[in-house]
Amino acid sequence: MRRLLPLGTLFILFAALLLPFAACGDNEEQPAPTARPAVTAGPTPSAEKFPLVVGRSDGRQLTIPEVPRRIVSLSPGATEVLYAVGAGSQVVATDLQSDYPPEAESTTRLDAFQPNVEAIVGVEADLIIIAVDQDNIVEALDNLDKTVLFLEVPDTIDGVMEQVRLLALVSGHESEGERLAEEMEGRVEAVTDELVDVLEGPRIYHELDNTFFTVAPESFVGDFYRLLEAQNIAEGAPSAYPQLTQEEILDRDPEVIVLADADAGESAETVKARPGWSAISAVKNDRIYVVDPDVVSRPGPRVVEGLEELARVLYPEKFP
Amino acid sequence: MKQARTLPGPALHADADAVAAGPSLALPALRPLRGRLLIALAVVVGTVLVGVSQGSADIPFTTVVRILASKTLGLGHATWPETWEEIVWQIRLPRVLLAGLVGATLAFSGAGYQGVLRNPLADPYLIGVAAGAGLGATIIMVSPLPYAFGTVGLLPPAAFAGAVLAVAISYGLARSGGVAPAVTLILAGVAVSAAASAAMSFLIMANHERAVTVVSWLLGGFNTATWQRVGIVLPYSLVGGAGVLASTRLLNVLQLDEEEAQQLGVPVERVKLLVIIAASLATAAAVSVSGLIGFVGLIVPHTVRLLWGFDYRRLVPMSMAAGAVFLILADVAARTVLSPSEVPVGVVTALCGAPFFLWLLRRNRPGGSPGGRALF
Repeated sequence: MRRLLPLGTLFILFAALLLPFAACGDNEEQPAPTARPAVTAGPTPSAEKFPLVVGRSDGRQLTIPEVPRRIVSLSPGATEVLYAVGAGSQVVATDLQSDYPPEAESTTRLDAFQPNVEAIVGVEADLIIIAVDQDNIVEALDNLDKTVLFLEVPDTIDGVMEQVRLLALVSGHESEGERLAEEMEGRVEAVTDELVDVLEGPRIYHELDNTFFTVAPESFVGDFYRLLEAQNIAEGAPSAYPQLTQEEILDRDPEVIVLADADAGESAETVKARPGWSAISAVKNDRIYVVDPDVVSRPGPRVVEGLEELARVLYPEKFP
Repeated sequence: MKQARTLPGPALHADADAVAAGPSLALPALRPLRGRLLIALAVVVGTVLVGVSQGSADIPFTTVVRILASKTLGLGHATWPETWEEIVWQIRLPRVLLAGLVGATLAFSGAGYQGVLRNPLADPYLIGVAAGAGLGATIIMVSPLPYAFGTVGLLPPAAFAGAVLAVAISYGLARSGGVAPAVTLILAGVAVSAAASAAMSFLIMANHERAVTVVSWLLGGFNTATWQRVGIVLPYSLVGGAGVLASTRLLNVLQLDEEEAQQLGVPVERVKLLVIIAASLATAAAVSVSGLIGFVGLIVPHTVRLLWGFDYRRLVPMSMAAGAVFLILADVAARTVLSPSEVPVGVVTALCGAPFFLWLLRRNRPGGSPGGRALF
């Protein structure tokens, strides 16, 4: 009897608790098969900039006394950056979602979503990188005088470049970071240069799951489409990761559909088979594409691959 | 749990007298019922029309009616965009019908559960349907198994199986010596639900990348309604509804003491089992395609009781109509208030349902207003 109310409230509580995960949650898992030549650089980090003072996402300043030799990365995006700038040998522990590059998986594994202070401290790291302040983990580690770099997941591609430079700096690989960021910026520019004459790109619907959660322009993936001049059909939605009604999707008539939910069994065929969807331009013109959600949405060095892939999907004539 | 109940309503006492009078269980006919039912049916049809005419796409009402006429009666010819026809026929109408069907199912199941468990706080989720379905659905959603939308997929069967299994376990645990006392059944249901909920919570936390999908399913909704899903629920609702409707006279008698009812020749255990099977199967089917929509099964029967009295012969059919109307309207709110975004319909029903529920609790507190019944 007394359970009745709790049951109802439980679900709402769940929703409240878990909604903040939406961004990282939908973005960060699943294996990433695509290989990418990592920017392998000098194995010896340079110590000249240390001690170093950097700003954290919570507005606090962090002093890093010397080049960190033992880094914990509780962020899959940061893990990819660290390996890409040549700091891989300094990484001693990563979170369970850090699955790229594969070497990251042979480090000590920690849980970023139910963080265990004891386990994190036990690694004896001299730098701990955290992207999600789950269960006040940042404060808990601060209180233990740990060197905690709290860096929230960026929500733009520019933000990724900034984090690449910052993570390279704090790990003592500033010049490699600069090289990597410049290479990435060059590739982004190569894509956007092709699009200068595009006034109005195709209408796009990016499907996160098959209950029609999608990405609004304010989200990280939404930023890709903004850069690519596409018209996001979720424009004007009240949140960054809104759930659209089917009716709205039909009404806004996307010209391209990008599926990030292939792991749930969705494909061009299943979308074509959805009742009523035959009226959508993307379905009529057979422009339904599957993307690897990790490559297009994990804020790391591979975002440029994601951007190039989406550019090919949106403008096959420009990017053969 | 003390069941101090003084059942008001002259109709019921008349029924009890009639039962006492003869073994045929003949009851006086409820004359005004037919008229009321016709009105209720008209209101349901009107609500369906309202539901079909509302949505984020700006389609004129006359066009909606003409599309419906053209699709059902072959009248007129298409002068409207193809998209509008798909929206009205493939998206809105199945969505509205599914909401109505699920609303009616939850409401008659709630009335049935409240009747056989002789507990006004019972709802169709009480003895395991919700937690069982939730666990079944969660397992599919967090697993690598495909559950593509548009195909039936594994999700509805898994939710259905979980719900039926949980109720069967609860009933099996509660039954001893051929009897499953209501209180024992509720306690068994609570325990089974708690275990299933715990497993579900663990799966969600361990697979947080799916958390939003799972939680939005748990809160329930009709965003993925299709004709096929209407077809999945319809047979269960019809059979389950018929089962509960056929038991309404005996449900009336059951509201006396169980022992007393037994002495009057009511096969208490058989009625209990029949209603539980009918209501649970129908609810499981409803939940399997629409998620766990809260409060409908609890508040609709109570509202109907307040409005039209305690006689189950009236309560069950009127609950069906009221449940359909309530859920169709709640779903209209769910898909329009935050347009172009969707609000889980379970949030809407809970927002409307929770205050009502609290009011009901207050009204029924011991020593509360005259006519109110003590719950605890």
